[in-house]
Order: sequence, then structure tokens, then C-alpha cells
Amino acid sequence: MTGDAAPLVATRVSPFLQERVTWVRHWTDALFSFGTTRDPGFRFSSGQFVMLGLEVDGRPLPRAYSIASPSWSNELEFYSIKVANGPLTSRLKLIQPGDTVLVGRKATGTLVLDALRPGRTLYLLSTGTGLAPFLSLIRDPDVYERFARVVVTHGCRTVADLSYAALIGEDLPADPDLGELIGERLIYYPTVTREDFRNAGRITDLIESGRLFADIGAPAFDPAADRVMICGGPAFLRDAKAVLLARGFEEGSLASPGDFVIERAFVDS
Amino acid sequence: MTYLVTDACVRCKYMDCVEVCPVNCFYVGDSFLVINPTECIDCGVCEPECPVDAIIPGPDDASGKWLAINTHYASLWPNITVKGEPPADREAFRDMSGKFERYIKDFSA
Repeated sequence: MTGDAAPLVATRVSPFLQERVTWVRHWTDALFSFGTTRDPGFRFSSGQFVMLGLEVDGRPLPRAYSIASPSWSNELEFYSIKVANGPLTSRLKLIQPGDTVLVGRKATGTLVLDALRPGRTLYLLSTGTGLAPFLSLIRDPDVYERFARVVVTHGCRTVADLSYAALIGEDLPADPDLGELIGERLIYYPTVTREDFRNAGRITDLIESGRLFADIGAPAFDPAADRVMICGGPAFLRDAKAVLLARGFEEGSLASPGDFVIERAFVDS
Repeated sequence: MTYLVTDACVRCKYMDCVEVCPVNCFYVGDSFLVINPTECIDCGVCEPECPVDAIIPGPDDASGKWLAINTHYASLWPNITVKGEPPADREAFRDMSGKFERYIKDFSA
């Protein structure tokens, strides 16, 4: 307009949102969960992950974290391991309500419902903190609209590591909002490898032996009706993928929906 | 580790990868994209999204050729965070091999 109009200056927007910690819960000396505020403009699909971090020495130190809360929630929840000398988690484990954490603006990931073809039963196979994206999905009503039954497995070393056992096994089915929708359709199948427990052994062994299906009263894996999501450590991903491929399942992606999707459980190093 | 963009991208340049990257580590040239190997967090979400399977995990780049190419151009090209319009003639280049050697002349190993 006039000669003294201010020039347009491109300002760098931080790639991170600043959110406030609202609660913290320590499960063991290696596992904890926490909640944060959520920017109204932050959108994600249940099952996705986001970069999450702290400011360290004046710079963001982020790691990829699955969002453990469902996409409709007005807060964010995260489930984390504590690594003794991990650059992020050695600091993150000390957070208190009111502290600031950095959350990336863009959520992404492979564990989303749109990457799967329609099916009858959804199996969510996880080990350790790989449970996190499934905590989001099992609290999302959309899952129960797409699948008649949802089976969430959680493989850990010890019973103490089965964080969320009460939430999944007892609280959710009794939840005033979701309980009626979930009803009997959510099956929780925890298993431990190093202690006595009602379900013992590795998830892939329990699948191959048929024990998992016998225990939950379901037929063995059928690529025509079953859809699977897998999240855990590298060995678990490799073994579970091999089990599915051997049974005729096809891996899917957003570009090309299929019978199963996999995602690495990100662990701080 | 990192993921790397390889030959199939050249002159196809679908850019589906850009949409799913959580850390915006793609950089764009005239005929293809590269990943910045130091920014990639190894999440693997981009790999299955490419329609021409141009993205590989770092260990699959046995000779280090693609690591060198991605590193080189990531330092020169602008960052890309939004998928643009792929080239109109991309289908013609879809199944061609050796595109990098044939069309990219400004790179010395």
C-alpha cells in the first residue's frame, strides 16, 4: 500500500507445541505414564505416534512416542519406559504436574484403522510399551464400529509389568461412556514370560501352538476375517510378521490397506 | 540408522512419503527427493507409502551409494513438508532402472 508498510517477514514457527503435564503415574521403576494438555488444533488418528520431548540445554530433545489416549480425548496420554542413561527418559521420568513438555505438531504412524481392510476380529499384539498405541485404539468407538471383536494381547516379562491390566480388564468394560459399546467385545489377553501366571509364554508361541485361540474361544488366524496390528521390539515384530505371512496375511499401509500392520515400539536409547 | 530414497524416485517423485514423515526430513530437487540421514528417526512409516518402493532401510544400501547421494543432496536442497504435484509423465519412468545414472549429471561420488 504505502511506502512505509511493514515488510512481510517469515517467522519460524517451532515444530513443537508446548503442553503442560497434568498427571504422572509410576508403575514400576522402569515404567510410567503421564497425561498432558492438548492443543485444540492438534489432530491425530488413534494409534498414531508423535514426537515428544523436553528442552535440554536450550534445544528440543524429542523421541517418537505413541499416543496412548484416544483421538477424541481432550488430553494426551503417554506410556513410557525409563532407561537409566537414556538422554530423554532419564529426564522425562522426573516430570511433575505443571511441567512443560514439547509435543510435535504432526502425528503419523502405521497402526491406524484405515490401513486395514474390513474384518471381523481385530487382534492387537503388543509387548512392553508397545501396548501404548492400542490403549488409544481400544478406547476409540470407531474400532467397535468396524470390528465385532477386539483382542488385545500384552506380553511382558513379569506380572508387575502388566500396567493397565486394571484399566483394560475392569475399568473399560465398566466405563459409563464406553462400557456399553465395548460390552463383551473387548478381550484382554496378558501374558508373561518369566513368572507363573494364568497365561505364560511368548505371544508368538501361544499363537503357533493354538493356545491363545483356545483360551479366548476363537478360531485360529484366518486372513479372510482377522486383522492384526503389531507393536513391540524388533524380535517380536520379526516373529509375529513371519507367523502372519506364513498364514497368508498381507501387510497393509495407508496407501494400500491390507490384513496387518506393524510398527516398532520406540525405546529411548 | 536411517531410511534412504533410491533410484525409483527419479522422475516419478510421488511425494507420498512427505505426508507421513513425523520429523520432516525430506528434501526436494527437480526430479526426486532425498532423506536427510541425520534427521531421520528411523520410524519406517514412509517406506510402505511410496507407490514405487523407492525407500529402503539403511542396511539395504550395501555399497553406501544411496547414503552418499541422500547425504549430498539433503545439504543442498530445500526442505519439503507438503506433498506437491508429481510430474505428469511419472508413469513412463515407473519401471525404468538406472534413472539416477541416466538423468542426474551433477553428482560426483
